[in-house]
Amino acid sequence: MSVGDTLRAAIAAGQVGDRLWLYSNYHCNLRCVYCLTESAPGVARRLLAADEMVAAADEAVALGFRSLGVTGGEPFVVAEMPEVAAQLARRLPLIVLTNATLFTPRLLARLRPLADLPVTLQISLDSADPDVNDELRSPKNFAKVVDAIPRLVEMGIPVRVATTGDHNTAEEMERLCALHRRLGVPDEEHVVRPVVRRGRASENDMGVVAAAKDLHPELTLTADGAFWSPFAPTVRGGRLDLDLLVSRTRLPLERPTGALLRLTAANPEGTDTSLNIR
Amino acid sequence: MSRVELLEADQVPFGTRPFFPAEGPASPIVGALAQVPELLEVAMPFIAVVFGPSSVDLRTKEIVVLRVSAKLGCRYCVQSHTVAAWDAGLSVQETRGLCGEPLTMGGREDALVAWCDAFCAVPEPVPRALTARLREHFAEHELVELALLAGATAMLNRFCTSLELPTGAATLARFEAEGVAA
Repeated sequence: MSVGDTLRAAIAAGQVGDRLWLYSNYHCNLRCVYCLTESAPGVARRLLAADEMVAAADEAVALGFRSLGVTGGEPFVVAEMPEVAAQLARRLPLIVLTNATLFTPRLLARLRPLADLPVTLQISLDSADPDVNDELRSPKNFAKVVDAIPRLVEMGIPVRVATTGDHNTAEEMERLCALHRRLGVPDEEHVVRPVVRRGRASENDMGVVAAAKDLHPELTLTADGAFWSPFAPTVRGGRLDLDLLVSRTRLPLERPTGALLRLTAANPEGTDTSLNIR
Repeated sequence: MSRVELLEADQVPFGTRPFFPAEGPASPIVGALAQVPELLEVAMPFIAVVFGPSSVDLRTKEIVVLRVSAKLGCRYCVQSHTVAAWDAGLSVQETRGLCGEPLTMGGREDALVAWCDAFCAVPEPVPRALTARLREHFAEHELVELALLAGATAMLNRFCTSLELPTGAATLARFEAEGVAA
C-alpha cells in the first residue's frame, strides 16, 4: 500500500487529520501571553521558503491531503504571503491563522484575489472587552481586529473567529458572540479552544497539559522539521520542543507523512483527541 | 564535551522513546541520533544487526570493531568496544594488544587483524593477498559480513569522533572495576 493510499485510509478512518499545516515563520508583531511558539518581534524567524510551501502543497494534493493551513508566528509579516496564500489555495482549500493587525489598505488590496479562492482567514479574538482581549494579546489588538474583520467580509473573504482560553463567563461569551455576528462572522465560524500548556503559556502557568494522545495528528511542516500537530512545534525559553517531532525531513512529503502514519498506526479507527484541541 | 546536544528520554520525539532504556541514561549515540528521528529509526536496527549476534561469532566481530576503531583513532568506540570485547571473551591483554601492537592470536585472528589494518589504510585497496588469507578461515558470506562490520565501524568512528561523544558512565565504571585505565 502506498503512503498516499495509507493516508487516504487513515483520513477516512479519522485517525489522521486531512489538513497539512505549514509554519510559514515564527516571528510576530504581537507577543500574546499564551503563545505556543514564544512568537514576538525579533525572535528567530524560522522561515519556510515560499517555493517549499508551494511544493509541499503540490505533494499534498498527490498524497491525498484535502486542505492546507498556514500558521506561525504571524504569516502576514512575511512579505509575499498574500501571493503565497493564493498559490496554495489554487491547490487545496486553505485556512490562514492571522492576528489581522497588519491589514492596511495596501495589504487588503493584495488580499483581494483570495476572495475568488477557497481561503478562510482565522482571526483571533479572545474577548468582547477590549482591555481583557488586549491584555492577553497585545495593546490595540482589539481595535485593529474589529476594524479588519468587516473589511475582509465585505471583500468576500470568509473569516473564522478563534477564541483561545476559558476565561469568558457565559455572559461574556454571549457578548463576544454578539460581537462577531455584528462583524459579519456567523456562529458556525466561531471556534473556542483551550490554551495548550506549552510555550509561553507554560511559562505563564496557563492552559491544559496536552500529550500526543490529546492532539489530533495533523502533519505540520516547520523550518525545523515535521511535527505531530500544529500545537507541537512549540518553543519554551527560546528552545524548540522536540517531543512531538516526527521527522527532520520535510520533502518529499511522503517521508514525514509516512513517519506520521507509522506513529498513528496503533490508534484504533475513530480515535479522537481527549481534550478536543483543534 | 559533546558537540551536539544529547537528548534525554524526557525530551526526545515520542516516536524515538522505544530506543531509550526504561531506566538510566541512553547510549550517547542514541541521544545524538534522536535529534533526527528518521535516522535513529533506521540506524539503530541496522547497528543492532551488524554489531549484534550473527553468523560470525562475537569474539571475531569485536576484534574487527576494536582494531578498526583503534586504527582510526576513535576514543569513544575504543573504550566502548574494549568492554564489549571483554564481554565477548577477549582478555585485557588481548584488547590492549588490539589497541597497539597486537599479540599473536593464531592464524585466523592474525589474518583478521592484518586485514583490518589494510582496511583502514585508505585510500589503498585491501591487498588481494590479505583477502585470500582471510578466505582461508572465513566463508564467502562471512567476508561480506566482516567487510560491512568494518565499514559500519569506520562510519561510527567518524560519527562519534566528529561529535566528540562522551564515553558512557557504565563503560568508564567497568574500566574502573577491572582496574584498567580507560
